[in-house]
Amino acid sequence: MSGLAQSRDRFREVARRKLDDERVQEAIEVSVARLRSHRLEAWGELENVEPLRQRAHEIRMRAVRDIDRYLEEFTRALEARGGHVKVCVTAEEATAYVTDVCRRHEAKLVAKSKSMATEEIRLNAALEAAGLRVVETDLGEYILQLGGEHPAHIIAPALEKTTDEIAVLFSDVEGAPIPAEREVLVRSARERLRGVFLEADVGITGANFVVAETGTVVTVTNEGNARLVSSLPKVHIAITGIERLVPTLADLGPLLQLLGRSGTGQRLTSYTHLVTGPRRAGEEDGPDELHVVFLENGRRNLMGTKYEEMLACIRCGACLNVCPVYRKTAGEAYGPVYSGPMGAVLVPLLVGLDRAPSLPHASSLCGACTEACPVKIPLHELLLELRRDLVEQRAARWRERVALSLWSFAWSTVLGYRLSTWGARLGRPLARRLGPGRTWAAGREIPPLARKRFRSWK
Amino acid sequence: MSSDRVQLFATCLGDLIVPEAVADADLLLREAGFDVVFPRRQVCCGQPAFNAGHRKAARRVARTFARAFSRHAPVVLPSGSCATMVSHYLPELLGTEPYDVWELSAFLAAREIDLPRRNEGRTVAYHDSCHMLRELRIHDQPRRLLEQTGATIAMLPRPDLCCGFGGTFSVRQPEVSVAMADDKLAGVPAVGAEVLVTADPGCLMHLRGRSTRTGGPAVVHLATALARGLDG
Repeated sequence: MSGLAQSRDRFREVARRKLDDERVQEAIEVSVARLRSHRLEAWGELENVEPLRQRAHEIRMRAVRDIDRYLEEFTRALEARGGHVKVCVTAEEATAYVTDVCRRHEAKLVAKSKSMATEEIRLNAALEAAGLRVVETDLGEYILQLGGEHPAHIIAPALEKTTDEIAVLFSDVEGAPIPAEREVLVRSARERLRGVFLEADVGITGANFVVAETGTVVTVTNEGNARLVSSLPKVHIAITGIERLVPTLADLGPLLQLLGRSGTGQRLTSYTHLVTGPRRAGEEDGPDELHVVFLENGRRNLMGTKYEEMLACIRCGACLNVCPVYRKTAGEAYGPVYSGPMGAVLVPLLVGLDRAPSLPHASSLCGACTEACPVKIPLHELLLELRRDLVEQRAARWRERVALSLWSFAWSTVLGYRLSTWGARLGRPLARRLGPGRTWAAGREIPPLARKRFRSWK
Repeated sequence: MSSDRVQLFATCLGDLIVPEAVADADLLLREAGFDVVFPRRQVCCGQPAFNAGHRKAARRVARTFARAFSRHAPVVLPSGSCATMVSHYLPELLGTEPYDVWELSAFLAAREIDLPRRNEGRTVAYHDSCHMLRELRIHDQPRRLLEQTGATIAMLPRPDLCCGFGGTFSVRQPEVSVAMADDKLAGVPAVGAEVLVTADPGCLMHLRGRSTRTGGPAVVHLATALARGLDG
């Protein structure tokens, strides 16, 4: 769990570094602008996106409000098909379970396809510590893994990398320099990864949805890697948060229509893969063993609370691509896994507000996220609620509490208001040297306070 | 009670930073034939504390609004974000009935007032403030009013993108906040506009503060642009 926590000052420190890097600024701007306009185009193709969003919201909330029931239903359905289900309360429990499955099969090589949940529990590190070789097979994540980095963007994880940087990383793998040309680089990755798909003993995927009714695991990708990872190795482990359940197979309709459109602006991603159980007698493809690992890791904190709607999130990334703050900072500032508005809401709820106190404030509350969310999560309202809880749980800074408290007493009467603003005008020469005034004045002029107010003109 | 009486709410930033815009709002309403009253006990809607999560402090200040304003005449204010606070959050915060609250341009547009062509031949850019656009859904009205005064509106690349003020956000994440202002300001000359107009004193204080520092375009409150023209 501690993997997601971050200190109060970290967001600002990372953000500053990103702002100073012109290349990163350009890369983010291009990427989010492209993804945003593709989403708007794809939403625009629908006759009316609103009823679809509303349906998707209802489907997700039906599942989220009754997780235990659907977990049970899913477990029954998958076990009837010969699959195994494990619900893990903590990250450690989940990594231990996965490591254990790998050990039992004497696995050496693990192929992975993109999964935020495995990043959340730092699965790769745990498996590597157990002596396994783990290879990410999503192209973007493969690049980051070679560079020793972690994905902090849901869509386009390697958006900050240039082809030159990628060529250096790939040349290392090839043991010979290869040119910084997209086609050559993609060919190199494809050849290397093909070997991994064929040789891997265990394949690990995430899940975009899991269907309770049928015991089905759904993955969507554009590279087809989830399909290979889940069908070539002898063992397939799918890891997902408990909230990714949907009640019925029919519920996938609206959700899949929105997921592709909202993430990359595609009507559907290239591959939508439904796995229901391991290979059965007489079937040629598929693993001998299938494990579905459900991760709690703090998610129960949200159930039945005013934050419950956050569990409806389908990790499409739409809120990231419209967020004016994310557009400047990119993902890393928000922490190692979840970023943008969804990360700013989710992470403090998973780890506790005192362990991620800057995230609810990493937003100007502009509301663009709420407008873009395909499942209608009121993200900016939830951020506001989190700020309220920060204060009520006394996780807000004491000097902020004192300052606002004094301010509110002064401004509770007209006389106090006049006296305080009169004082502020006298103190203006000092303002640029102290506290928030100084912070403000580092990049902006402090406005002169009007000598003559409208109220005295009349 | 006259049916065309309105109550003018200056808002704290209006009162402190752009009192001339409050006077311009007053002028516009009077020219349009309204009987404008200015409740003397008004202070602030409490939004600065409310958006920072300090509800107790916000409530203390928001009560000044409840004491000053009546529910018998529309409350008009030259600020989209304070209009959002007062209409969407304040009743719940204080446990009171809602007020009849109007952001200035929405009010003027709804009453179909006529404006003299003070800005003939001028090209302006308009910045949508976030709460006004997304919570109050006010998009066309300020643009239409500016066009009525003869101004041509040059479309910013992203008029809807937040300028980076965000209340306490502006001092919690000052670097990001300023970078967002720079993006907004850079769009103004890029689309051939001379002036950036906004209907929110908060955005204005932030954008003008940055623009003054960097030698960027002038930032003018909508009420001023409508009542006295872009040169104020």
